[in-house]
Amino acid sequence: MRERECGPDCTETLLEVEAYLDGEVDPDLAARITDHLSGCSPCLDRAEFRKHLKEIVATRCIEKDVPEALRDRIRSIIADP
Amino acid sequence: MAQPAATHEDPALRERFERDVLPLLPSLYGAAMRMTRNRSDAEDLVQETYLRAYRGFGGFQEGTNLKAWLYRILTNSYINTYRKKQREPQIVDGPEDVDEWYLYDRLGGRSVEDSAETTVLDTIPDQAVKDAVESLPERFRLPVLLADVEGFSYKEIAEIMETPIGTVMSRLHRGRKALEKALWDTAKERGFVDA
Repeated sequence: MRERECGPDCTETLLEVEAYLDGEVDPDLAARITDHLSGCSPCLDRAEFRKHLKEIVATRCIEKDVPEALRDRIRSIIADP
Repeated sequence: MAQPAATHEDPALRERFERDVLPLLPSLYGAAMRMTRNRSDAEDLVQETYLRAYRGFGGFQEGTNLKAWLYRILTNSYINTYRKKQREPQIVDGPEDVDEWYLYDRLGGRSVEDSAETTVLDTIPDQAVKDAVESLPERFRLPVLLADVEGFSYKEIAEIMETPIGTVMSRLHRGRKALEKALWDTAKERGFVDA
């Protein structure tokens, strides 16, 4: 941690950044974190890293092609459950 | 599940099912792949999910959260049917041992370039990320999948997994730590980072 570089809000910010990036903190805290991040590059760097990691997990875990055989099986459920 | 109206006997219901539920197939199949970790079980799991959803669709209230409803069926089907026959991977180090900024600290500071750690993430191939997610023990893998891949809120995940929200938050946090470690191990093994 680099608290000395960026003031007393770093601890709270880094503690809450996961929930913040998940959109799960209340608006007051979200505003304080956003404000802190805008002025603290070490915290911002970490937040950006976490955000990017979430995006990587989201985009790389997608199955781009559903097997045709599975599509047929699903279609047959609707045709004849 | 409540006794539903028979979907196949109600043309409007059937039409709504085709319109709203069929487009979720790629997303459900992806989640099933990460849950079962093999294609054959994933296909069976998705088929079972669609069959149950189709039969129960009359009991689903329009306007409520369809995606969460389907993921709850998927998760229940997985837990009841497929989990039993699958062996959990051996995790030598529990996620408890992983530092708060495990991956950031290892990827960062390797270069003078700003945000080098974020750039390194981009070089990790899709399959390596999938393998890392699949290496997580199920109790951590499911919340990570539901939050990060499917974008569900903590409350929705709690409902899908029938788990208290505090448990969801703690498993999600520990699951992400474990994922960071798995990603680091994978990246190291496959030579995407020098270590």
